Amino acid sequence: MNSGMWQALSPLLALSGGTVVLMLQIAFHRNPRWSVAITQLSLLLGAGLLLWLWPGSDYQSLLLRVDGYALLLNLLFILAAAVTCWLSPAYIALRSEQSGEFFLLLLLATIGAMILAQAVHVASLLLGLELLGVALYALIAYPDRSLLPLEAAVKYLVLSGAASATLLFGFALAYAGTGQLAFTGLSESLALAGSGAYTLVMAASVMIICGLAFKLSLVPFHMWTPDVYQGAPSPVTGFLATVSKGAVFAVFLRAFLETGAYQFPIILNSLAAIAVASMLVGNLLALRQDNVKRLLAYSSIAHMGYLLIVLLVCSDPANHDLAVEAALFYLVAYTVTTLAAFAVLTWPGYEQYQGPEHTELKHLSGLLWHHPLAGLLMLVAMLSLAGIPLTAGFVGKFYLFSAAVTGPHWLLLGSLVVGSGIGIYYYLRVVYYLLRRDDNHALLPNAGWHESCLAVVLLAAVLGLGIAPQSLIGWIQSIL
Amino acid sequence: MSSEAALWPFIVYFLAVLALVATMLGLSWLLGQRRANQATNLPFESGVLSVGTPQIHFAVEFYLIAIFFVIFDLETVFIFAWAVAFFELGWEGFLAVGLFIFILTIALIYEWRSGALDWGQKTRTGWKPER
Repeated sequence: MNSGMWQALSPLLALSGGTVVLMLQIAFHRNPRWSVAITQLSLLLGAGLLLWLWPGSDYQSLLLRVDGYALLLNLLFILAAAVTCWLSPAYIALRSEQSGEFFLLLLLATIGAMILAQAVHVASLLLGLELLGVALYALIAYPDRSLLPLEAAVKYLVLSGAASATLLFGFALAYAGTGQLAFTGLSESLALAGSGAYTLVMAASVMIICGLAFKLSLVPFHMWTPDVYQGAPSPVTGFLATVSKGAVFAVFLRAFLETGAYQFPIILNSLAAIAVASMLVGNLLALRQDNVKRLLAYSSIAHMGYLLIVLLVCSDPANHDLAVEAALFYLVAYTVTTLAAFAVLTWPGYEQYQGPEHTELKHLSGLLWHHPLAGLLMLVAMLSLAGIPLTAGFVGKFYLFSAAVTGPHWLLLGSLVVGSGIGIYYYLRVVYYLLRRDDNHALLPNAGWHESCLAVVLLAAVLGLGIAPQSLIGWIQSIL
Repeated sequence: MSSEAALWPFIVYFLAVLALVATMLGLSWLLGQRRANQATNLPFESGVLSVGTPQIHFAVEFYLIAIFFVIFDLETVFIFAWAVAFFELGWEGFLAVGLFIFILTIALIYEWRSGALDWGQKTRTGWKPER
C-alpha cells in the first residue's frame, strides 16, 4: 500500500466509484438523465486520470501491471464506452422500461475490459473476463420488449460459459504442470519443465487457446458471432465488437509474450492454422449476407484473423516491437471504424419503435441522399474496414502487412491478401446500397445535434487516423 | 509417488461401485420379466397416479431469493477468509473488508429500493405500472 499503487489504480477506482454512486442514484432517484451524466462523468474522470498517469507509469503487482500498453488500451476502452453511452439513451428508452441499469452494466463491463488489459496473472485474467462477460450477457438481453436479444443473450451465455470452463480447465492443467499462475512465473517454469510437464502444458495451452479464441470468435469457434451480433441491441453490439474483443486480444497478446508460449512450434502452428481459417472463412461467409449486422459479424471474424498474424510475427524477438505496434494501431483503427458503423445502425430515428431493428441492407438503401451525414459515416466506415487508402483501416492493414513481411509468413500473407480481396466485394456492396437513388426509404433519420456531433467526431477520427497517423504512431512508439 | 498410492483405494472403490450397479441392472434385465402394459412406462410415484404437466410456472421471486442467497452466501466466504487471518492482516485488512462490506450494503440498499425483496406487488422507485 503506497502512493504509487493508488496512482496506478486510480482510473479503475474512479470507474468503480462511479458504479457505486450510480447504484445509489438508481436506488433513490431513478432518472435516466442522471444515470447518463454519472456514467459519462466517471468515464471522463477515468480518462483524465489515465492521461495524468501517461508519461511512463510502470506499476507492477502480482495481479496487475499498469504500463504504457495497458494505459493506451484502457484509454481506448473508456472512449469506446463513452461513445456507446452517448449512443444508447434514446435507443434504450424506446425499448426498455428501465434504462438506469444499462449504464451500470456498461461501466462494469468497461472495468472488466480495463482489468483484462492490465492482467499479468491468471486470476486477474479470469476476473476481468467474467466481469466483462457477465455484464455483457445482461446488456445483450436488456431490451425487454423483443425476443431476439433474449435469444442472443442465451446463446452467448451458454457458449461463453462453456468457453470459460475450458479456459479454467486449461489454467488448472497449467498449474498442475508448472505450479505457477502468474504469467512470468509460468514462463520461468516452462523453461525448466521436463517431458512430463510438457504434455500437461501443451494440453493446457490448447484449452486456453480454445477458450480465448471463442471470445475472439476465431474459426472454428465462431458459430455464435452472427446470431449474437444480430440479436444484441446495436450499441451493445458495437461495444461487444470493439471493447470485448480488444480486451481479450490485449490479454492474449500479453499472456502469449510473457509466458513464453511462442517458443513452442506446435502452438505457433495451431495459431497460424486458426488465423488462416478465420481470414478465409470469415470473408467467404460474409459474401452472401443481407443483414448489415451479420455482415459485420463475419467481417469481425476475418479482422480478428488478421490480428492473429501479430502473435506469430512477435515470436521472433527482433520483430517484437514492430508487431506490438502494428497490433495496437490496428486495434485503435478497428475500434474507431466499427464504432462508426454501429453508430449509424443505432441512429435513433432510424429505428422503428418497439419493432425489430432495421439493419437489412435494403434499409440502408439511398441513405447517403436521404441523410448525407449518416450515409457518409457508413461509407467511410465500410471503406476503412475494406482497407482503402486515406482511412484508418488502410494504415492498420499496411502496418500488419509490413510486420508480416519481416519473417517467413508467406501463407499468412497470402491469406491476408486473398481475404482483403474478397472483403472488398461485400464492403462495396454496402456502399452500392448507400448510393442507390431509391425513393422507398420510408424511415428518415431525424438527426439531433447529439447524433450529428458524434457522427462528425467519428468521421474525423477515421479519416484523421488515415490521413495523418503520425501522431498516434509516435504515441504508440513512445510507450513500447 | 505417495499421492498415487493414496488414490488407489478410491479408484478401487469407484470401480466396485460401477461393478455393483452394472450387476444389479444387468441381472434384473437378464432374469426379470418384461411386459408392455399401459402402466409400464408411467413414472412411479409410490402408487399415486401423476397428474398435470411437469412444466409449472414458478413465481420469479423464488429465483430472485435463490440468487440473493448465492450472492450473500459467497460473500460470507470472503469475510470468513478475512476473519481467519484477522490479526495477521491488521488495519489494512480491516479497511479492505470494511470497503467490501460497504459495497455489499449498497448492493443490499439497491435491491431493497428497487423492490427485489418484495413478494408480489413491486414497489420500485420511479416505476409506474403500465397504463
